[in-house]
Amino acid sequence: MSSDRRLNERPLLTKVCDSVEDFSPEPDSSYILARSGEFRSAHSESWEEAARAINVRFCRVTSFGPSGFTIELNGRVEEVALRSSRQLSRLWQACGSGTVYLDITGLPHHVWAPLLRVGIASCNRLLVTYVEPRDYRFSQTPTEGEIFDLSEKISGVAAIPGFATLTDEGDDHFCFIPLLGFEGTRLAYILEHVQPPGERIVPVVGVPGFQPEYPFYAYLGNRSALTETHAWRNVRLAIANCPFSLFYLLEDIAAEYPGDSLKIAPIGTKPHALGAILFAVSSTRSVEIVYDHPIRKSSRTEGIARLLAYDVSGFVVR
Amino acid sequence: MTSKPASAEEQLSSLFGSYKAEWLKGRMFELFTEPAYFPDLITSRPCLLIGGRGTGKTTVLRCMSYEGQFVRSGSQADRIAEWPYYGVYYRVNTNRVSAFQGPELPAERWVRAFAHYFNLVLCEGILRFLEWYRIHIPSSEDLSALDWELIATSLHLAPTFSASELLRAVRKSIVSFEAYINNVADGEAVPLSLQGAPVDALLQSLMWLPQFTGKSFFFLLDEYENFEDYQQQIVNTLIKHSGESYTFKVGVRELGWRVRTTLNANEQLISPADYVRVHIAEKLDGERFAAFADAVISERMARIETSVRMPKDIRLLFPGLTDEEEAEVLDRTDEGPATRAALELSENVPEVERAILNGMPLLEKYFLVVWARAHGMSLTDCWRSYVDSPSMWSVRYGNFKHSLLFAIRKGKRGIRKYYAGWSVFVQLSAMNIRYLLELVDQSLLVHIRNGRALDAPVSPDMQTLVAQQVGKKNLAELEGLTVHGARLTKLLLGLGRIFQELAANSEGHAPEITQFHLADEGRGGTIREDVDRLLTAAVMHLALLRFSGSKPGDERDTRDYDYAVHPIFSPFFVFPHRKKRKMLLTGQQLLGLVSRPRTTIREILADHNRQIPEDLPDQMLLFEAYYRDEQ
Repeated sequence: MSSDRRLNERPLLTKVCDSVEDFSPEPDSSYILARSGEFRSAHSESWEEAARAINVRFCRVTSFGPSGFTIELNGRVEEVALRSSRQLSRLWQACGSGTVYLDITGLPHHVWAPLLRVGIASCNRLLVTYVEPRDYRFSQTPTEGEIFDLSEKISGVAAIPGFATLTDEGDDHFCFIPLLGFEGTRLAYILEHVQPPGERIVPVVGVPGFQPEYPFYAYLGNRSALTETHAWRNVRLAIANCPFSLFYLLEDIAAEYPGDSLKIAPIGTKPHALGAILFAVSSTRSVEIVYDHPIRKSSRTEGIARLLAYDVSGFVVR
Repeated sequence: MTSKPASAEEQLSSLFGSYKAEWLKGRMFELFTEPAYFPDLITSRPCLLIGGRGTGKTTVLRCMSYEGQFVRSGSQADRIAEWPYYGVYYRVNTNRVSAFQGPELPAERWVRAFAHYFNLVLCEGILRFLEWYRIHIPSSEDLSALDWELIATSLHLAPTFSASELLRAVRKSIVSFEAYINNVADGEAVPLSLQGAPVDALLQSLMWLPQFTGKSFFFLLDEYENFEDYQQQIVNTLIKHSGESYTFKVGVRELGWRVRTTLNANEQLISPADYVRVHIAEKLDGERFAAFADAVISERMARIETSVRMPKDIRLLFPGLTDEEEAEVLDRTDEGPATRAALELSENVPEVERAILNGMPLLEKYFLVVWARAHGMSLTDCWRSYVDSPSMWSVRYGNFKHSLLFAIRKGKRGIRKYYAGWSVFVQLSAMNIRYLLELVDQSLLVHIRNGRALDAPVSPDMQTLVAQQVGKKNLAELEGLTVHGARLTKLLLGLGRIFQELAANSEGHAPEITQFHLADEGRGGTIREDVDRLLTAAVMHLALLRFSGSKPGDERDTRDYDYAVHPIFSPFFVFPHRKKRKMLLTGQQLLGLVSRPRTTIREILADHNRQIPEDLPDQMLLFEAYYRDEQ
């Protein structure tokens, strides 16, 4: 950590609401959201009516595929291609010139990341919102011998739309930064694809976690891959629900590996993935995002915990 | 301040612990040992280097690159001009090539887009080499400004007049092209170069330079399986039509070369007309692999700085046991079924022939008793036959003795079969250098962690325990190797259980069944396709090995091959690691091992007159949920 940086140079522009009922979007703002199978993605139901009363416009992503999505916008359903800055930009413009919220809770990475990439440049004020789950349903303490079926969990490594990297220059000298979740097999799978040099793997664990015990689950779940690669020695910590802490950590790691390009695997928390995408968008260094595209199941999480609103525009222009 | 010298353990980890080429990076070149097939690779013809994960493809290809060659030739700049070839390494990266697909463009536009991108990639590789060459040999001749301009034009780039300018322009062009791909739905037209044309233009021009006249340029393409099918066709086309100035050396996993045609669907790449096929397992079979492995490991051992004198011969560190010795050891550790059998036999041997009995190893006596029991003979008759027909019994004993070892301690805790000795380790690795390095590394680590000296032999017990651990670790890793890893793990758990039961209960049956082949159930159909997918993935990711069957046929036809569980897993399951007899399985049974293991294992064992015991062996208890059809 570069401890010489003053705290006020590293602001964490996050508003934390302990309950979703405590949250209210700004009047006359636009709010992009999607409902997935997870209960928490429906969190807006409890405050939507009140928000409409202050003229908040809701833009609902109604469906999505690998290359595009449909969204209800101003009473019309629009189809938007993910690999089109032009179409994405038009979408943001249609959201108006005021504050726009992008709620990533119910959106997969391959949809919100391209939206964010263009949104940062297009919006005057962009905030990203995210609701933590109260708990995860899958086994947080997988036993040895439990067979983890990746084919039910991921589609495989492929570029996130808008984030394809075609330059090979950094392939011989790169630092690999996996942002760890609980599912160690996903890390093993990505390691097999990326083939990073052992001493240049810097895993990131979310500490503090959404729950106090979660960092231990992350270690436990990823134990085999961390041991095999000796990467456990390089583990770094960043607040699990804070994209900005992750962003700063990535800056620090980048400074420690000055000649290397960076490959980041956002397979941990969504706020960490958000930090990684912000870093990829704003860094002057060569940054490649490596992602395995999980197949989300409705039964993955349960309940609703805190809501977090990240002032992305404020952060980017800081 | 001087740094503390590395401990033996640290040195071992550094030299042997990095089983993967990508972890060794710079040291890979220093530690490189030329395999026997190396001369085949450095001819000026296209080559396909086929091998499983860990067979050394990446190491070989990287060492053929100009960076590798430089280190291998002692980093002497004045020798660069003497090299007969210059290799440019390129690893096919899924994260990159997967971007060239989607509904935004019709298929033929993706072909053109990818062909253009690949032109840029290959040209960039050569231009980077030229930059490196000029740094090391500044006096070397250059192409004319006109030549550089023409090459730039062939890539649709603005005129450039030197190699460094062109390199900058190519890099910039790749970045622009990246932006195009990332916004491909915007429909903007970008100028695309003609497939292969700029590469031809660049390399044909270079051939006129005196320093490159008569030299070959190799594009070293690693992990060819990562290309999409249509991309393989594009590169196949380049391979087919690569001329005198350059050629391709391709590293690919077995069955990873899915498409053999070029962009012309009627044009196939055929060996040996179009390329040299180097199948690592075939080229490095038997003694050649042993010699190669010996050289690789001795080279690393020689670098260990230690106060003890390391033995020159690696074999001395890994002593094995003969079958007869092993029977004695196994029988001693428990109730001794072999000893009891020997006693029983001695009671049936006439006094005058006792000297013969006393001269027999315990295992042979045990064999006679087991044989008599299995064939309903009295021990007296069996002994008489043994004395009267020694050569016949010698052959029988030779055929059965190894399989008997699996029965001595069946169902018992602890070591039930030894996997020890250098030659056994070599066989367990099945020509996979990564597995062999892992076995050696882990054995030596456990050995010194137990307070033993590095120059002292590793005990057979320790070797066996390590072999079991290595098998278990690689089994656990399978699920993360591919999206379909869980199916492979289940297939292996099922087959492992079957071969383990067949081995432990071989009395009265054909010994050492360790392979299977598939019943001919006709072509087509969803089951057949599913079986093919499963077998292809299993072979590609080294869950299974395959061998040419009795009918030579299409390399991609799964029915023409015999299959075995990779022997690295045999110590974990406890079944013979040797390639011996085979059994017949149906496609349904194979799929059943994945989806309904309990029933299917029972059914297959019943076909071989065995019953499955209720209790799982200790090491398989971990996977109890699978064996109970609960996973």
